[in-house]
Amino acid sequence: MKRRNLFAASLAAGALAAGRKSWASVPEAAQAMGRTAPPGTVPALTPARVHADQIMDIKVCLRPFRPAGPRLEIEPVADKIVVHNYGHGGSGWSLSWGSAAMAVERAAPLMEKHVAVIGCGIIGLTTAITAQRAGMNVTIYARDMLPHTRSVRANGSWTPDSRIALITAATPDFAATWERMARYSWQTYREYLGLPGNPVDFRDNYLLSDTPPDEADHTEPAPDISKGSYASTGVPQSEAEFAKYADRIKDIIPAAELLAGADNPFPVAYARRKPIMIYNFGAFGHALLSDFYQAGGRIEIREFHSPSEVADLPERVVFNCTGYAARDLWGDKSLIPVRGQTAWLPPQPAANYGVRYKGAAMLSKSDGLMVQGVNLSGLGELEGVGNSMEQPNRAEAEQAVAVFEDLFSRFRPRRG
Amino acid sequence: MAQHPIFAKQAQKARGFCTALLAATGLVATAHAALAAPRHAPAAPPAPAAPSFTAEQADHGAQIYAGTCAMCHGAALEGAHDMPPLRGLFVARWANTSLNKLYAYITHAMPLMAPGTLPPQDNIDVIAFLLRENGTEPGHTPLPADENRLAQMVFPAPNALPPVKAAQPGKAPRTR
Repeated sequence: MKRRNLFAASLAAGALAAGRKSWASVPEAAQAMGRTAPPGTVPALTPARVHADQIMDIKVCLRPFRPAGPRLEIEPVADKIVVHNYGHGGSGWSLSWGSAAMAVERAAPLMEKHVAVIGCGIIGLTTAITAQRAGMNVTIYARDMLPHTRSVRANGSWTPDSRIALITAATPDFAATWERMARYSWQTYREYLGLPGNPVDFRDNYLLSDTPPDEADHTEPAPDISKGSYASTGVPQSEAEFAKYADRIKDIIPAAELLAGADNPFPVAYARRKPIMIYNFGAFGHALLSDFYQAGGRIEIREFHSPSEVADLPERVVFNCTGYAARDLWGDKSLIPVRGQTAWLPPQPAANYGVRYKGAAMLSKSDGLMVQGVNLSGLGELEGVGNSMEQPNRAEAEQAVAVFEDLFSRFRPRRG
Repeated sequence: MAQHPIFAKQAQKARGFCTALLAATGLVATAHAALAAPRHAPAAPPAPAAPSFTAEQADHGAQIYAGTCAMCHGAALEGAHDMPPLRGLFVARWANTSLNKLYAYITHAMPLMAPGTLPPQDNIDVIAFLLRENGTEPGHTPLPADENRLAQMVFPAPNALPPVKAAQPGKAPRTR
């Protein structure tokens, strides 16, 4: 019998933890934590080498968080029609294709053959390609090509409802809009699976915890009323203010399963495994640019200084895919920066998985081993909100790295 | 940074696609007359006309749509990754095409799981519904279930931008 008394141990621990829900029985605990992985389905994992002296790059992005959700509207500017497509918070990569399809759908009845896209991040590129697939001739106008955009300073994984909207600020129909975007994106991303270079791929992500991952761990703390709310301060003040929609698409997103007993290779009491979709920036950016050029697309390097400058463009329909830059360029002061930082270590293809532990995330990608503090401060979704500091914070990176250095120092590889 | 005053005002004003589209429609209102002429006009007149249909037809078409078409094309005609939308791109695909072709297609190919099973009047009313949902206003003259008369009408693009003056057909002006 491979399964050890994992649940019995958790029952004892749970009884000690005041206020924490304790399980009445082992089956109840298993049910609460999801399906248990069949014995023997966990491969012998190569430990990742995660040390601060291996950091080769630290990247910082500002997620363009818009409390009302992404801006998907048509607006006349000068003699042009601007189709806005920006403000996707921490969900831009995930929602890009679906959001692009909606933007193109809004533009299609304008019956223009030649259209412009401003911005060459993930939203701009997917919008441009989607417009091409709808029969339009597209010119991208951008200050920077993809490698210099904020898009590639993200971690590049499927997180479709990360800082996407606030419950009180989003319109009631946004949930359905989000669902349509997410489903469309998910299906489009599947087209890029299995291609040379793996532009889009899946990783097993191990969700680790020293304590039972029960309700008590996931229940958000009661909002501190003295801090106010988005309505009173203009900035969200509690995690509970963020809209969560993931349950709407759980029928197509692989779920987590519990690794019980000896099948748990990690030196922690609780481990779950969940396959996640990831985007390898180099290969995927190359695939997108190739698609765009092969379909006859043009890119013109150009910086816009005010919305009125779109009047100079020869195209009469202009997709505005400027992300956080829309805050200044288009005067959208509803955009709130949410700082996110990733540290990059050399690629470790032998350790081909992701781990989440103690508020930090590690993800093995083809262009590097990504380490990120996602919740080191315990603030959850509020971490980085309102912070527009785009300079790297070495101490934060080393703090996240230390989580995994400690974890793997205790890791005992299984003998094959 | 200099902020265009009109822009800031518009940015606040534009709340929701419908509002913005109305603004866009107003912008191109002067172009409606020009749009009655199709882009790929046949050499011989008479010029096809914009279709007329009644609100009752569109309402009935909405019922038919909800019961027969929405299961694939979506309750809001939005389509999906593997299913054609019946708004947005649909307009671009059918604009300026004579309505007898759309009628024939729906009659022979739809609904996909039981093609040709809807009575002619239901198909006509579904077309009236599609016209209304894509920006054409209902009128007093019903859309006829008559292929010859439908051949004299085209699917309109009421929100198309006005034609570019002195431009070569099918080619946007380039300043470079």
